[in-house]
Amino acid sequence: MENKYNLKSPAVKRLMKEAAELRDPTEHYHAQPLEDNLFEWHFSVRGPPDSDFDGGIYHGRIVLPPEYPMKPPSIILLTPNGRFEVGKKICLSISGHHPETWQPSWSIRTALIAIIGFMPTKGEGAIGSLDYTPEERRALAKKSQDFCCEACGGSMRSALLALTPNSDPSAEDDQAKELAQQINFKEESTLSRQPSESGGAENEPSTSSQGDPSSSAEQQDSEGPLAEQAEVSPAATEIEGLNPPAAPSTGRPLSPRQRRAQQHSQRNQREGREAASRPPFAPAPRPPQEESNAGSVVLIVLLTLALAALIFRRIYLAQEFKFDYEL
Amino acid sequence: MKSCRRRKQISIAKMAEEQQESSQPEVEGVNCLAYDEAIIAQQDRIQQEIANSNPLVSDRQDLAVLQREYADDDTVYQLKIKDLHKKYSYIRKTRPDGNCFYRAFGFAHLESLLDDSKELQKFKAVATKSKQDLVNEGFTEFTIEDFHNTFMDLIELCEKQPTLQEVLNSFNDQNVSDYLVVYLRLLTSGYLQREYGFFQHFIEGGRSVKEFCQQEVEPMSKESDHIHIIALAQALDVSILVEYMDRGEGGTVNHHVFPEGGDPRIFLLYRPGHYDILYK
Repeated sequence: MENKYNLKSPAVKRLMKEAAELRDPTEHYHAQPLEDNLFEWHFSVRGPPDSDFDGGIYHGRIVLPPEYPMKPPSIILLTPNGRFEVGKKICLSISGHHPETWQPSWSIRTALIAIIGFMPTKGEGAIGSLDYTPEERRALAKKSQDFCCEACGGSMRSALLALTPNSDPSAEDDQAKELAQQINFKEESTLSRQPSESGGAENEPSTSSQGDPSSSAEQQDSEGPLAEQAEVSPAATEIEGLNPPAAPSTGRPLSPRQRRAQQHSQRNQREGREAASRPPFAPAPRPPQEESNAGSVVLIVLLTLALAALIFRRIYLAQEFKFDYEL
Repeated sequence: MKSCRRRKQISIAKMAEEQQESSQPEVEGVNCLAYDEAIIAQQDRIQQEIANSNPLVSDRQDLAVLQREYADDDTVYQLKIKDLHKKYSYIRKTRPDGNCFYRAFGFAHLESLLDDSKELQKFKAVATKSKQDLVNEGFTEFTIEDFHNTFMDLIELCEKQPTLQEVLNSFNDQNVSDYLVVYLRLLTSGYLQREYGFFQHFIEGGRSVKEFCQQEVEPMSKESDHIHIIALAQALDVSILVEYMDRGEGGTVNHHVFPEGGDPRIFLLYRPGHYDILYK
């Protein structure tokens, strides 16, 4: 690995150090880069004791940006756990309760401890979060030990050091809780980017979307502004193109159903009441619908009248004299 | 005539449907996620624009450039710039990216030490020791040592009697420059936490000193206030003079020395939200 990367790149230097630091599994966590990509790591963490995740060992990926540690890593869980969605990026939030809090002096170890600390916190409907019942979580925790990762070959049964009666989880645990309070995780919405990245990393790791990190880092050295610009523009277009494709699968599985239910109740309401009783929410789709509704009523009335006129005329013409008499 | 009206009706209905469809993702999209992404994208665009028009640290310019930044009839600023002219002749600008105080301080201080090897050695000793102080406080050694090494590299560069341009080039290398900023932020954070008994009285919003450091000091691009300046000045035992130029009436620029009573060697110009370097 040493020959493949530009050792002058700050990210490479730092990641080498972190890889050495985290080489041996502890009782609570372990993480190492993939053999052929220093910028993608796989990790295993033990579910915190005194929680529904007790006894579980959870596996996931960490993707490091070329600017690491100036920019935060992204974390993706691979083991079903009932707290985070599987296969979706979790990253630091800027609009959560706390402002953007990633600090360059934090490390992958910090991120792992934060994940552990974050598991027992409530999802509360946050995007990328799951609020499974305690029973479901406990069942998943039990099952998690059977997980084997094809990409890194890790088996959860042997991923971490076994807990011994002497081992004291509280030190790590306190640190984890403290970190969890500072950090806000959310699922990243870049669905479009994710498949290409995971595909690149798993099928052709050496040409994954980060490219050769050393060369990209070099590029940044020599043409900083240009590289930055290139980086900014996909992000920008991603945002502009975000809404339509992301809407059906924003990671809130209930939303289409909810939307339909909402529409349904709106329609019922509309039929029963006048426009004055319109609820204050979702005003945009409603007025046009009302217009089209009124329009079709007018249309039906007009057509009925026309039909009546034609029938009447026909009868009138056929029995002209009789009508004449009567009129 | 009738069919025409009918077609019109249908087209209205269709339009309404389309409108409904297009407005739905919008309603759906007003969640924090799209909001976050949009903010990040906008911040990136703004940063890019700023980066394209401002070097991290500029060449030394005549102070007269300031006059041109404000309208001739902006009497408050024009009077204050005149006042500034009485004491200073040159200005060196820094990129307004939220890290300007640290960059301005770092450059101005090392520049002032270029022809004073005795002070430079004294500063080097303080800088060398600073890492151990941080580690003792609980910072992780292997995560902060790259930043510390960059800081020491810059000091060692200054020992070799480089040209000013060489120092300037290092400060305009984004990697080197940002690593220096990170380390100065760590020093500031470390000092604030070490002296928390004193500093906790100056922190707003009911936060602890540690929380303040993690939210306002250590993350990049967080702007600096008095409290940051006092901490960094004391952490490195350097005296800093800041000239404050804002919309306040009076026609004169007020200055403040950190820490109080020091004999400052570096002079910074503060305008709301930004720091530049001043030269006599």
